Amino acid sequence: MVAMPDLLPALPELFLACAGMLLLMIGVFRGEGSLRLVSWLAVGALLVTGVLLVLGPTERTVTFSGLFVSDSFAVFAKLLVLTATALTIILSQRYLETEQLARFEYPVLLVFATLGMMGMISANDLIALYVGLELQSLSLYVIAAFKRDFAKSSEAGLKYFVLGALSSGMLLYGASLVYGFAGTTNFDALAALFAAGETPAVGVIVGMVFVAAGLAFKISAVPFHMWTPDVYEGAPTSVTAFFAVAPKIAAITLFIRVLVDPFGDLLAQWQQVIWFCAVASMILGSLAAIQQSNIKRLMAYSSIGHIGYALVGLAAGTEAGVRGVLIYMAIYLAMNVGTFAIILSMRVQGRMVEEIRDLSGLSKSHPMMALAMAIFMWSMAGVPPAAGFFGKFYVFMAAVDAGLIVLAVIGVITSVVSCYYYLRIIKVMYFDDLTEPLERPSRAASLVIAGTALFTFPVFFIFSNAILTGAATAAASLFQ
Amino acid sequence: MLLTGIAFYIFAAVLVAAAVMVISAKNPVHSVLYLIVCFFNAAGLFVLMGAEFVAMILVIVYVGAVAVLFLFVVMMLDINFQELRQGFLQYLPIGGLIGLVLAIELLLIVGTWVIAPETSAVAAAPSPAIDAVTNTEALGRIMYTQYVYAFQASGLILLVAMIGAIVLTLRSREGVRKQSITQQVQRKREEVLAVRKVPTRGGV
Amino acid sequence: MEIAAIFLPLLGAFVAGLFGRFIGDKGAQIVTCSLMVVAAILSVILFVQIGFGGPEAARTVHLFTWIDSGSFEVAWSLRMDTLTAVMLVVVNVVSCMVHIYSIGYMSHDPSKARFMSYLSLFTFMMLMLVTADNLLQMFFGWEGVGLASYLLINFWYEKKSANDASMKAFLVNRVGDFGFALGIMAIFLIFGTVQFDEIFAQVPEKANATFNFLGFEVHALTTACLLLFIGAMGKSAQLGLHTWLPDAMEGPTPVSALIHAATMVTAGVFMLARMSPLFEYAPDALAFVTVMGALTAIVAATIGMTQFDIKRVIAYSTMSQLGYMFFAIGVGAYPAAIFHLMTHAFFKALLFLGAGSVIHAMSGEQDMRNMGGVWRQIRFTYAMMWIGNLALAGIGIYGVFGFAGFYSKDIILETAYADHSWYGTMAFWLGLAAAALTAFYSWRLLFLTFHGEPRADEKVMAHVHESPLSMTIPLGILAVGAVFSGIVAYPWFVGHDLAHFWGGSILMLANAEGETIIDAAHHVPGWVPWAPTVVALAGIGFAWLFYVKSPDLPGRAVASIRQLHGIVFNKYYFDELYDALFVKPAMKLGLGLWKGGDEKVIDGFGPDGAANLTQRLSGVASRLQTGYVYHYAFVMVIGVVALIAWFFLSAR
Repeated sequence: MVAMPDLLPALPELFLACAGMLLLMIGVFRGEGSLRLVSWLAVGALLVTGVLLVLGPTERTVTFSGLFVSDSFAVFAKLLVLTATALTIILSQRYLETEQLARFEYPVLLVFATLGMMGMISANDLIALYVGLELQSLSLYVIAAFKRDFAKSSEAGLKYFVLGALSSGMLLYGASLVYGFAGTTNFDALAALFAAGETPAVGVIVGMVFVAAGLAFKISAVPFHMWTPDVYEGAPTSVTAFFAVAPKIAAITLFIRVLVDPFGDLLAQWQQVIWFCAVASMILGSLAAIQQSNIKRLMAYSSIGHIGYALVGLAAGTEAGVRGVLIYMAIYLAMNVGTFAIILSMRVQGRMVEEIRDLSGLSKSHPMMALAMAIFMWSMAGVPPAAGFFGKFYVFMAAVDAGLIVLAVIGVITSVVSCYYYLRIIKVMYFDDLTEPLERPSRAASLVIAGTALFTFPVFFIFSNAILTGAATAAASLFQ
Repeated sequence: MLLTGIAFYIFAAVLVAAAVMVISAKNPVHSVLYLIVCFFNAAGLFVLMGAEFVAMILVIVYVGAVAVLFLFVVMMLDINFQELRQGFLQYLPIGGLIGLVLAIELLLIVGTWVIAPETSAVAAAPSPAIDAVTNTEALGRIMYTQYVYAFQASGLILLVAMIGAIVLTLRSREGVRKQSITQQVQRKREEVLAVRKVPTRGGV
Repeated sequence: MEIAAIFLPLLGAFVAGLFGRFIGDKGAQIVTCSLMVVAAILSVILFVQIGFGGPEAARTVHLFTWIDSGSFEVAWSLRMDTLTAVMLVVVNVVSCMVHIYSIGYMSHDPSKARFMSYLSLFTFMMLMLVTADNLLQMFFGWEGVGLASYLLINFWYEKKSANDASMKAFLVNRVGDFGFALGIMAIFLIFGTVQFDEIFAQVPEKANATFNFLGFEVHALTTACLLLFIGAMGKSAQLGLHTWLPDAMEGPTPVSALIHAATMVTAGVFMLARMSPLFEYAPDALAFVTVMGALTAIVAATIGMTQFDIKRVIAYSTMSQLGYMFFAIGVGAYPAAIFHLMTHAFFKALLFLGAGSVIHAMSGEQDMRNMGGVWRQIRFTYAMMWIGNLALAGIGIYGVFGFAGFYSKDIILETAYADHSWYGTMAFWLGLAAAALTAFYSWRLLFLTFHGEPRADEKVMAHVHESPLSMTIPLGILAVGAVFSGIVAYPWFVGHDLAHFWGGSILMLANAEGETIIDAAHHVPGWVPWAPTVVALAGIGFAWLFYVKSPDLPGRAVASIRQLHGIVFNKYYFDELYDALFVKPAMKLGLGLWKGGDEKVIDGFGPDGAANLTQRLSGVASRLQTGYVYHYAFVMVIGVVALIAWFFLSAR
């Protein structure tokens, strides 16, 4: 008989799964009006999961017959994901209550989505990859359509679902090709295979391209990005805030693991794919955003662009590149959560507004909020000394070191172009006349805004060391 | 051996032909029916490989439940599929081109079908020999040991799907009468029954 | 403790700057001053520990890694050795005094919290500079003090002259900073690191390295050192890049005392002393430093004789004293330079704060021609100015007692004499002349301000009053420093305990006879130590003759050398020269480029053209977003097909 698998490396996931089901039960029995309780319990559960992660083993451990791996790379990414989810749940509460969406399933679904992401991050097998991905995606499809009486939201959910199904199909097709030509789905076995063999079969590579396409959909890299603006705009704003951060981090981590771990020796084959996606994402992200007047749509294109920059680090395929991506995503997390906290606070006389011009004169009505937003925009534009600059710096440096100079140059040019629309927001806030003042943000939102803004500048600038070493250890664990 | 060979080609040919019909049939009900044909033939292929369990599951779940559900949905929604198809011709040239390129690419892959020696070494026997253990037992063993993680995760996916279906569709409507058994059982006599003295010839 | 001594001012700056409105002016003053007092006490403790603890007491406090990119690694660390400890004491003590003094001096100003916050910020930046463990961190502090200085000169931003002065200070310093930055790059090029320890360890082996520049082989270390010195010239107002310092007197007087006398302007001296292991191997650079220092000392002293603004006179005096420090460094006597830096910080801060007290008493009047005859009303300030002047002029009796400047100036002149090179000798004679001039203009200032007939109008004279305690106490403390810091510190800084005191923080190579320049300075002929005092007394005598005995003498003297006086009075026409050489052509070039180049060529094809193109492309990009699911799906499929096709095509 087979021995009981070692559960310790997966303890955080097991805890979160049980907590999720428990939260569901609590919600069901408490019925209406339990959103607040379930939300805070969910945040607590995420917190405990984070603690378990930190206390857990950091050296690479494989369990569940090679399906699940835990290493510092996974721990780093999971911590980012947990932080993002917890902050989103905190930010969502007031929005859900005022939009008559106060249903306890929301935090529960978010918890399950997070569980799926943790599964993705720790996947060590194409099967594990797929189940993690589906657990995440299914939760996301549902919450995208959470505002079910609202045509735009339903449409967003449906679009996301249909296209997501297509991308899953591609991914599965690719996985089956890989399995068919390589004879295994296990990452370690695949890596050993490619390390030994001279030229891999064409089928494996095409399969890999299909898998990459499926994953590129999840991180919304061009040309698999088309869903992003529509879903971002249609989904409830708190859901958009979630979409923009946690799933992106999980998916890009998974992307890195798949390409570097099993297919690491096929760098020459996949580099051009990532190169293309990175260039296309950076260009589209910076160009298309200029025309947008809706801030959620703008953020959609902005996130496409950011993913392009992160992919630059991945395209390098080196340890420094992976480290750059991790740093980039950590900074991305802070900037985006903060920006969405501000977007979620954009209320005028009891209704939500989401046009950029609604921010006009913010510097007069809410000077601190305007300052925070300005910091986020500077950072996103990559202007020193805000944190975003360092994110781009490390990624581009890695690309240059790997000889991808053209890629780095395109990156620099597109970040200059993207300054245009980030700085436009600052201009609107500071130089346009006040139309209608926004309502006061909730206490939770203010705290989140202040915290993320301080992190973006100056905390990161001064104390970047913790994140740098964390990311370096994480990247190193992947390249052992 | 010859018989299995003949059976394989029959099943495979019918399967492919039916699959083509699924997407080309004009009447959606016909499409679903063709889909059922597909499932049956696929089950046949599984039987030929000795995977009876999977074959039976395919028939029970897909034919018995999924396809029938599709059929109901298609019949109830009464969509005018002619209208939906109108864009078809407009996109045919470029769609066809892309399809052709994809087909060529996939053919190229098949053309280079070589299984490297290392590959066959890695591809260990997935389960014990067929005559040593039954199909169901082998699957059960693998699912609850080697792939327990994936199995449990799939369970969670189904749970999420269930929650999702409820969240997106369940509505508590006002004014709907519902049966509450506990309430019915707990009813006391005094609350519902009043004894009145009715005077004779006075009517109620 | 090190961290507290350095970060407390930052904390003060934060609190006063961000929460100034909540805690009020009083609160801001109390917070910043008390934090500064604590920091000052801590730095004295540190100084005792490190300075008297021998070479082993030096240490480095690692805070965290800052930039780590490939081979380029920079950490935030605090380098704690004697050199740093001396600077810590100077900066923190003087800054502490200035903080307290400001409470009284700025009592009529509306934005006190802002002022205190800037002062504390400046102090922190200066501390960052002196505790730096690598060139990049030093550069951070360097730019930081530049910024704080800009903010403080421009503190009264309603005044146009203050705006102009701050701009000038900033721009002139940019030139120097550019040199410094180039120097850092050169050092990185030579040594592959910006960490001090690693640089110094490699110096001997790289002593003869060369750069190839436009086909010329140039000595690498000399180049790097000259570039660094250009940086130092900017910050320390050496001849050529000095024009900003007198104008910087537009700022409030406490700022002048702290930044433009005691601390920031000495940053250049500190930097050169810190880089002593490098400069010791670049004798040509040292010769250049000596010449520049000596010229600055004499030129500034001559200008100082002719000026009438009380603060400008002291500013030129500062410049002149900085010249002394630089030529001390030039002849290799780094300890002597730092010694003078320390004593100078005390007496020059005292002079500035005293001058501030006078200005305060005279209701803001700064022109000495409108002063005079007030010594009876403000006796304490008068006494303080006397002490400051005595220390500045270096009065003392050799071998018995002298004011602070006596010891430090003496040792500098002795080292210059003992150097025996042509530039050392030149520096000695010019320095001696400057000493006489120093005494002359110091007492000219004293006599014009305090003696003679009152020249101010009656309203002002009626208001003349002694300053409040918060201003006089710092004066008193600084006066103690100005009197005793020389005699107390002499044996440690440049006397027989020198080696024990400095440890490894300063390198002085021995000459052919096996003795360092400081040793040599102790064996100069007997007349040399006496000479400065004698010429200083002569200077005082002349000043008395000119401004007390026969006040019409200056006018006649000026008339007899009208041309020469004109040149000196107009500060050798440096400002006019720069205006004609750089400012006007730059203005013209800028206008031309703006009108012709920028608007027509660049905007047409560049930003505007690019912006138009971007707008159009952006329109295309958003039109692709049709909203139909099947379009999206189609794009995805095309993407996959194209990627695979690309792979097939590129593989073959």
